[in-house]
Amino acid sequence: MQIEDDEILQGFIEESLEHLADIENDLLAIEEDGANIDEDLVNKVFRAAHSIKGGAGFMGLTVIQDLSHVMENVLGLIRSSKLVPTPEIINVLLQASDKLNTMIEDVSNSNNYTIEEHVVPLNAIYDGDFTQPAAKEEPAPVAEIVTTEPPVVETISAPEVVETVPVPVPEPDPEPAPEPEPVVVAEPTPKPVVQAPLKKQSPPVKKAAAKVKVDSSIRVHVSLLDSLMTLAGELVLSRNQLLQTISSGDTQNAESVGQRIDLITSELQEAIMLTRMQPIGNVFGKFPRVVRDLSAKLNKTIDLTIVGKDVELDKTIIESINDPLTHLVRNSVDHGIESPAERTKVGKPAKGLVILKAYHAAGQVVIEISDDGKGLDGEVLAEAAINKGLITPEQAQLMSDKEKVNLILLPGFSTAKEVTDVSGRGVGMDVVKTNLDQLGGQVDIISEVGRGTTIRIKLPLTLAIIPCQIIMTGGERYAIPQVNLEELLRIPAGQVKDRIERVGNAEVVRLRGNLLPLIRLADVLGIKRTYFDQEEDKFRDDRRERICDRRGKETALDPEEEAILRAQELAASKDSDRSLDDRRYTASSALNIVVVSNGSLKYGLIVDKLQDSEEIVIKPLGKHLQACKGYAGATIMGDGRIALILDVANIAIMAELTSIDGSDRASEVAQAAEDLVKAQKDKQALLTFRSSEQEQFAVPLNQVERIEKIKRSDIEELGGKRVMQYRGGSLSLLAVDDVAMVQPIADQDDLLVIVFNIASQLVGLLAIGPIDAMQISVSIDDVTLKQPGIMGSTIIEGQTTMLVDIFEVVGALFPEWFEDNEVYEAADDGGVVPTILIAEDSKFFMNQVKSYMTDSGYDVIGGEDGAIAWELLQQHGDEISVVVTDIEMPNMNGFELTETIRKDARFSKIPIIALTTLAGEEDVAKGKAAGVDEYHIKLDKEKLMASVHHYVKQLH
Amino acid sequence: MDRENDGINKNLVELSTFLVGNALCGMDILKIQEINKLIDMTTVPQAPSYVLGILNLRGQIITSIDLSKKLGLGETNMSEDPRNIIVNSKGEHIGLLVKKISDVVQADTSKFEPPPSNMGGIQGEFFTGVYKTKDKLIGILDVDKVLKLEETQK
Repeated sequence: MQIEDDEILQGFIEESLEHLADIENDLLAIEEDGANIDEDLVNKVFRAAHSIKGGAGFMGLTVIQDLSHVMENVLGLIRSSKLVPTPEIINVLLQASDKLNTMIEDVSNSNNYTIEEHVVPLNAIYDGDFTQPAAKEEPAPVAEIVTTEPPVVETISAPEVVETVPVPVPEPDPEPAPEPEPVVVAEPTPKPVVQAPLKKQSPPVKKAAAKVKVDSSIRVHVSLLDSLMTLAGELVLSRNQLLQTISSGDTQNAESVGQRIDLITSELQEAIMLTRMQPIGNVFGKFPRVVRDLSAKLNKTIDLTIVGKDVELDKTIIESINDPLTHLVRNSVDHGIESPAERTKVGKPAKGLVILKAYHAAGQVVIEISDDGKGLDGEVLAEAAINKGLITPEQAQLMSDKEKVNLILLPGFSTAKEVTDVSGRGVGMDVVKTNLDQLGGQVDIISEVGRGTTIRIKLPLTLAIIPCQIIMTGGERYAIPQVNLEELLRIPAGQVKDRIERVGNAEVVRLRGNLLPLIRLADVLGIKRTYFDQEEDKFRDDRRERICDRRGKETALDPEEEAILRAQELAASKDSDRSLDDRRYTASSALNIVVVSNGSLKYGLIVDKLQDSEEIVIKPLGKHLQACKGYAGATIMGDGRIALILDVANIAIMAELTSIDGSDRASEVAQAAEDLVKAQKDKQALLTFRSSEQEQFAVPLNQVERIEKIKRSDIEELGGKRVMQYRGGSLSLLAVDDVAMVQPIADQDDLLVIVFNIASQLVGLLAIGPIDAMQISVSIDDVTLKQPGIMGSTIIEGQTTMLVDIFEVVGALFPEWFEDNEVYEAADDGGVVPTILIAEDSKFFMNQVKSYMTDSGYDVIGGEDGAIAWELLQQHGDEISVVVTDIEMPNMNGFELTETIRKDARFSKIPIIALTTLAGEEDVAKGKAAGVDEYHIKLDKEKLMASVHHYVKQLH
Repeated sequence: MDRENDGINKNLVELSTFLVGNALCGMDILKIQEINKLIDMTTVPQAPSYVLGILNLRGQIITSIDLSKKLGLGETNMSEDPRNIIVNSKGEHIGLLVKKISDVVQADTSKFEPPPSNMGGIQGEFFTGVYKTKDKLIGILDVDKVLKLEETQK
C-alpha cells in the first residue's frame, strides 16, 4: 500500500485516535444508560465511527474501513432504538474499537490485520442472532490492555497475526518477510509457531516509529498561537528599540526598554508554557475502562469517580504519569477494594469506590487515588520489611504508622509474590516511586486499616522551568528546588547554643519541639567550610569543628578554661580587632538553615548565605559529571554565571542520612526525636515574666491576649483602682501582689502589661521583663507554694516559677465580673446535682479542673487514666452527665476512651469534652472521628465551663 | 562524521595544533566548534579532578576539562593564558583547556603514521596517529577516546 501524502495520513491518524479515545468512554456511558438511550451520545459515537470509515476509505485502508463499517451498522441500530445496548454488545464494540486503535497506530500494516473475530459477532448483532460468543475470549486480552501500554499492542496483535496466515501479504508490502510464506504453506501444522514470532518482530519496529510521530505533534488552540505571534512581534519591536537605545547611548530610555523586554519575555514564557499544557483528563479518560474491565474480571463492583479532569500539566509529565497511575489504579481495584462479600461482612456497601482526583495546591498539581478498601496495615508491612532485612526491628519500633505504611515504597520491598499475599499490596510500588521521582514528584501514602488508602502524588506543573531558592556556600551559588523547600531557618548567634545539639555524631536542631538532623552543605560537597561575614561582606574560613563547639551542652568546658575565656573576652571587648574575630557575638555567627524534604525525609542544610528565590531553567550536566550525585543539573543565572542545582535526596544519601537506613545517626536522631515527642505530649506552653526582680511567674500562654509595653506614668489611679487608657477605653490593671503574698511589683519606669480576656472583659496584669514563651513538660507542684492567686509552681530552666491563676486573681479583685457566670443551681432540678466524670493523669490538672467544676456546683468523679474512667463510668452510669477527658494518658488514652464509650449503646449519647495542651488540627480531627463533642485547651476555664454548662443544660 | 569522511576522501585535512604540556597535539579542525579563552568557571565540588568546572557558552552549559591533567601531565597553569577548545563529543559540547594554541597545519591523511607507545609523556593509546612536518611531530589526538569515561576515574 502506498500512502502518497504523508501529511494527510498523519492527520487521519491523529483525528482517528482522538475519536477512538472518545468512543471508549462514550460506549461506557451508553452501557450505563442501557435502554434509555442518550441520543446525542450515540450519535456522537456513530459519527466518530463514520468519519473513521470515511477517512480510511479515502486512504485505501480497507480493513479499517470494513471494521468501522460494521461498527457503524450496530451503532445505527442502537441509535434508532432497535437494539438495546447490553454489556455484551458494548463489549464487542469496545473490543472492535481497541482493534481499530491498534490498526491505526500501525497504519501501514493495517490491511494485513484480520478482523473476522470482530466482524462476525458485530454482524451477528446486526442480524439479530447474537449469542454472546465473546464471553470466554473476552477477559484475557482485555485484562492485558490494562497492564502496560506497549506490550498490549503486541499481545493483541499476536493471535491475530497467527490467523492471518491463510491470507498472506495481499499487496506489495514494505514488510521484509517474504520467506515465511513457503515455509508456512509447506508445513501447515507448526504454522502458528513459526509465523507468530516472525511477524511479531517486524510490526513493533514500525509501530515504534509511527508512535513517535503521533506523539511528536501537539494540538494548540489558534487563539494561543495568535497571542504568541503578537508577543513575538512585540519582542521584535522591543529589540529594535533596544538596539536604537544602545547606539544612541540613552540610558534613561534603556531602562524603560529593559522593563518592556522583561514584561514581554515573561508573557512569552507563560504563553509558550501554555502550549505544552494538556488537561489531565487525557490520562484519566482511560481509567473508567480499566476499572470496568478489571472489576468485572475480579467479580467486584466498583464505582470510579473522577474529579478535576481539566487540571493541566506539562505534556511530558502527562505522558510519563500514565504508567504509574495505571499501576496505582489497578492496585486499588485489585488489592485495595475487597470482594463484595467481604465488604458486606464488615458493613461497607458492596460497591467499592475508587476516587481519582487532581487539583492544584501550592503551585503543584496533586493527584490522589483513594479507595475505600481494606487499607494497608503498617504492622504487617513493617514485619515484611524486617524479614527482608530492609530495616531492623529497632528501627521499626521507632517508626510512626505513617512511616510504616510508606515502607511499601522502599526499593526491594515488594516485587516478590509473598508480600502480595501478606499485605495485599506492594507489587512494584517502588517502581512507581522511581518513575515519579524522575518527574520531580513526591508520593505519600495515607492509609487506615479497614477504611481505605489514599495515595497522594505531588507533581510540578512543568519540568522546564522551576522556582528555586538560591543559596551560597563556599562562595558559589547553588539552587534548591522550591518543591523540596520546607522553610528557611536562621538561628541567631545567641540561640545557637540552645538550639543546636549533638546526638552521638550527628548535629540536630530543635525546631518546634522536633529534632531535625543537620547537614553541612560544605561537608557533603567536600569543600572548605566558610561563613559569610556580614560586616566585611565576604566569605571567610570557618574553623569550628562543630557548630555547637564551646557552646553545646555536651561539650561544656571545664571551669578553668572558661575563666580564661572570660578573661579573653573581657580583653576582647577593649580591643576592637579581637572582638571582630570572635564570631560568637556577631551576627555572622548566626546559622542559615534550609529545611528541605523529600517524601518522608526531612533535614536541615546549613549554608553560608540565603539569597532570593528565582525561576530557573534546568540544564543537564555533561557526562563527566554524571558521577556527582549531589546535583540535579545546572542553571544559568542572571549574571551569566552558572549555579548548580542540588539534589536533596542524594545529598542526604551522601551524608549517610536516610530516614530509614541502618546508620547509627538515623536511629539516634529518631530515638532522640521520639524521646522528645514523648516528653512533648504533655507539655504546656507558658509565658514567663517577673513582677519583682527576684520572683519568676508564669501563665498559660493561651490565656494571654496581648503584651503591651507601657511607662509607669501611663498608669492612672482612680477610685482605688489602677487603670490605663487602652484602645479608646480603660483597662483595669492589677498585679500579682494584689492578691498573692509575693513581693510588690518592681519600682521601675518601663513596665509590661499582659492583657487577658476574662469573663469577656479585658484586664491587664502588670509585670516586668524578661518575658519568654516556652513549652515545658508539666510537673507542677501544687502544694508547696500554693496560695490565693498562685496555682502551683514548677521549675523552668533552674528557676522556681510560680504559676499564676489569673481567674483567681481577677475573681478576688473583681468578684462582680463573675456574678453573671452560670453556677449550676441544684434547686433547679429537684436537688440532683449533675456529676462530671474527669479522666486526667496529671494530678495538677485534675485538681484544677475539679476545682472549676466544684466551684460551679457540680459533683466530680475523677479517674487517673482512661481505663479507670471507663470503669467508673460503668459503675456510675446514669449519674454522669458529661465526660471530660485528657488525651495523653497511660493505659487508655482519650481517643480510646472516647471510642470505647461511643461503642457502648448506653453511653453513645453522653457528651464528651476533650482537654488538650496543644490542640493540633490532626488531633482535633482524630478526636472528632473518635466521637469527641468538643475540644478545649487545658486551663481555659471559661470556655470549658461554658461548654459544660451547655451540655448539662441540654441534658435536663 | 560526514565532514570527516570528506576530508579522508580528499586525503587532506587541516589540523589545528596546540600544546598539551610539551607535546604538540593536533586534531581535525572540523571537529572544533570554537576556541576561546573563557575561564570564568563555576567549580563543581566532587567532580573528577580533571574537570575544571562548568561554564556558560551562550546559554549552553559546557564541562571544561584540563586536557593536560586528563592525560596525566599535571595541571595547566591558569596564569599562562590557556585556551578552551570547544569540541563536540558524542552529542555534548566539552571544553578542553590547553596551554597554547599553535598553527593550523595542512596534512595528508595517507601520511599519518601509527602512534608511538608514548609521546611527550602521553600514553600512545590516546592518539590515532602521528604526522610529521618538516620540523615538528604532531600527535593526532583521539578526542572521543580521551573523553571516554573510565570506570576507574570516578
